[in-house]
Amino acid sequence: MVNGQAGKINPKFREFNYGLSSGKVCLITDAGRRQFHYNKSNEMREHAILLTIFLVAATAISLFFFFIYRSSLPEDGKGMVNAGKKRLFFALILASVLIILLTVTLPKSPYFLFADETPAKVVYVAARQYSYTMSYQAIDPKSAGRSDTIELPVNQPVEFRVTSFDVNHGFSIYNDRAELVTQTQAMPGYVNRLRWVFTEPGTYNVLCLEYCGVGHPIMRTSFTVK
Amino acid sequence: MITRSLKRITSVWIITVLVLFVTAIIFGITMRFNQGKDLTMSPVGFYSLMTTHGITMIGIWAAAGLVAVNYLLGRYVKVSVSLNVFAFVTTVIGVLMIWATTFIGKYHAGWTFLYPLPLQVAWAKWATPVFLFGLGILGAGWLIWSVGMLLQILSKYSLKQAFAWQHFSKNPAVETPPLVLISTVSLIGIIVSLLTAVILLVLYFLEYFSGGNFTNDPLLMKNLTYFFGHTIANESLYLGLAAVYELMPESSGRPRFKTTWYVALAWNCTLVFILTAFFHHLYMDFVQPVGFQMIGQLASYFASLPAAAVTAFSVIALVYRGRIRWSLTNTLFFIGIMGWLIGGIGAVIDATVSNNMILHNTLWVPAHFHTYNAMGNVLFCLAFFNWVAHEFAGTQASVKSFRLTTVLLLIGGFGFVLMFYLGGAYSMPRRFSVYPQEFTHAAILASLGAWFATVYLVAIVLIFANIIKKCLKVFSPSFSS
Ligand code: HEM
Ligand SMILES: [Cu+2]
Repeated sequence: MVNGQAGKINPKFREFNYGLSSGKVCLITDAGRRQFHYNKSNEMREHAILLTIFLVAATAISLFFFFIYRSSLPEDGKGMVNAGKKRLFFALILASVLIILLTVTLPKSPYFLFADETPAKVVYVAARQYSYTMSYQAIDPKSAGRSDTIELPVNQPVEFRVTSFDVNHGFSIYNDRAELVTQTQAMPGYVNRLRWVFTEPGTYNVLCLEYCGVGHPIMRTSFTVK
Repeated sequence: MITRSLKRITSVWIITVLVLFVTAIIFGITMRFNQGKDLTMSPVGFYSLMTTHGITMIGIWAAAGLVAVNYLLGRYVKVSVSLNVFAFVTTVIGVLMIWATTFIGKYHAGWTFLYPLPLQVAWAKWATPVFLFGLGILGAGWLIWSVGMLLQILSKYSLKQAFAWQHFSKNPAVETPPLVLISTVSLIGIIVSLLTAVILLVLYFLEYFSGGNFTNDPLLMKNLTYFFGHTIANESLYLGLAAVYELMPESSGRPRFKTTWYVALAWNCTLVFILTAFFHHLYMDFVQPVGFQMIGQLASYFASLPAAAVTAFSVIALVYRGRIRWSLTNTLFFIGIMGWLIGGIGAVIDATVSNNMILHNTLWVPAHFHTYNAMGNVLFCLAFFNWVAHEFAGTQASVKSFRLTTVLLLIGGFGFVLMFYLGGAYSMPRRFSVYPQEFTHAAILASLGAWFATVYLVAIVLIFANIIKKCLKVFSPSFSS
């Protein structure tokens, strides 16, 4: 079943892939470059925090709804007093929380990460149904298939230049505890540049997180960080 | 006016939707058991089923929302029954074509048919054009139906009134009922999204029939695809909310909701937010202009403001110490609002670019959208079905025992989605027919999820049984409106 008739993709794009270093398509924008001091990554904590926030909020909402439901039962039927004021108050609090969260989270977007640094290593990645080619050199789609064994330095910025030779794929990096560390998409005709600093040495697995056909769950590769 | 023929076609829709719903849930449970290794399907079988499940679910709940709005609009404007029937016919044809491609042709490019996957034919050759064509027929029917409804609104209300702008000044001369306002906003969203689908399909066919002379731009196609998919899925939910506004007070014996300046403001803003929030589907495409990414997060965040502060707050204010007469109808509305909010929290977490980095395309995604669908919009629509079935039968929604149904629904539904959330938080990928061995708990979570979903299914069947007999009443010769 592993097929993927080639030839459906615009040849124009292929050449573009070949000239990966041309820098025509570039993630790092010149506008608003900023210096970021990235904290030591601790993915497990990050995942756990998000889950906890969600579960606490979901539980609070459920309890609140249960309380509202109970209040509706027999009783006076007095309704909510001062509903207008309460609504305004609630809207203001919610708006403030949203604005605070936006200001905190937007600068952490991957588009700005390590924008001003020079990567210690550049890795070219080409995805296809259902494998990856990773190389230190730009990859020629015509003779693609030879992968380098990738070893990356710890605590230094590295850059992945990721594309696809057929359909959309994912390029998602997992640490050896099977925690998702970071990712980008592999899109035909475009090169996504992902910059990252690995703070833990070890073996990292790459999985595909964009559905690409029957072989999607077995599509993978790996590299080491020393 | 709500005529007998409107009642009949509504009844046909309800029965069709519920039959397809039960079937699609069974497909879903089958997938989850396969992920749990309790069942073994071939990967092709799994992905064909996933495609069928996704497109069927999206389809029936968008249709259900349109059906509800069409019926309820009958209270305020003259509605066309023939367009409704026409849309039903195109829907049936479209669904049959799509099911033929997935079950016979083994087509399995996923319901989002992300370019260029459908063109990398790994199934019967005819399946790709038939799938796209089936989608086109279905979409065209809905497009005409939706435009028809919008025009019917605009033949009574001016455009400004349909958007309830007169409510921004003191003492408006005309009141725009909330149902009309919400229908206008949602129908416009649906229409824009379906028009995008038409463009998308045309681009597909151009490439398909060009013999290699024309190829599309993958980034543009991705934007178009998610604009269409995100918008149709979200507007479905807002159609469901139209029914909440109209029927929640009525079915609770409370005074009806009125359009005020903040209701008008909320829904006008909602239109803008929904049409721009889809950018959050492309956060991990770094070649997308960064400005769009920022708009994506802003729109996704601020969409929650009108939702929580206006809609959810109004329902809470209505229920709080309200001496409510609880029936299955308003109970489903109430739980639906809760599910919608909980799913919304999951959505906002994922719509944060820096979180999306570690949540994008993990099980967190099906987690949150199943929450606001299976425990949100579906319940709004089921509440409408239940209410209208009583109207058909001339009965009162009984206060009798729907407690068992509610408990099964809550346990089954939230248990099912919780397993997805846990999977997402453990970095487990979505759309994996089986999980790699490093995800040690993935299979157990999947199994549990499937069992919870089975409990949910029991509740759905109970509700279905409650509704169907009353729905059939409209076909008896003695039935008069
Ligand atoms: C309890 C009932 C349901 C069950 C058991 C179920 C099960 C599933 C499963 C197992 C998946 C695949 C998850 C994965 O990515 O690994 C899935 C995907 C999906 N489900 Fe459901 N589901 C249910 C209800 C719904 C409802 C009510 C909707 C309404 C919109 C829905 C829409 C979808 C969509 C759009 C997908 C994505 C398909 C794709 O990735 O192409 N499901 N569901
Ligand atoms: Cu894949």
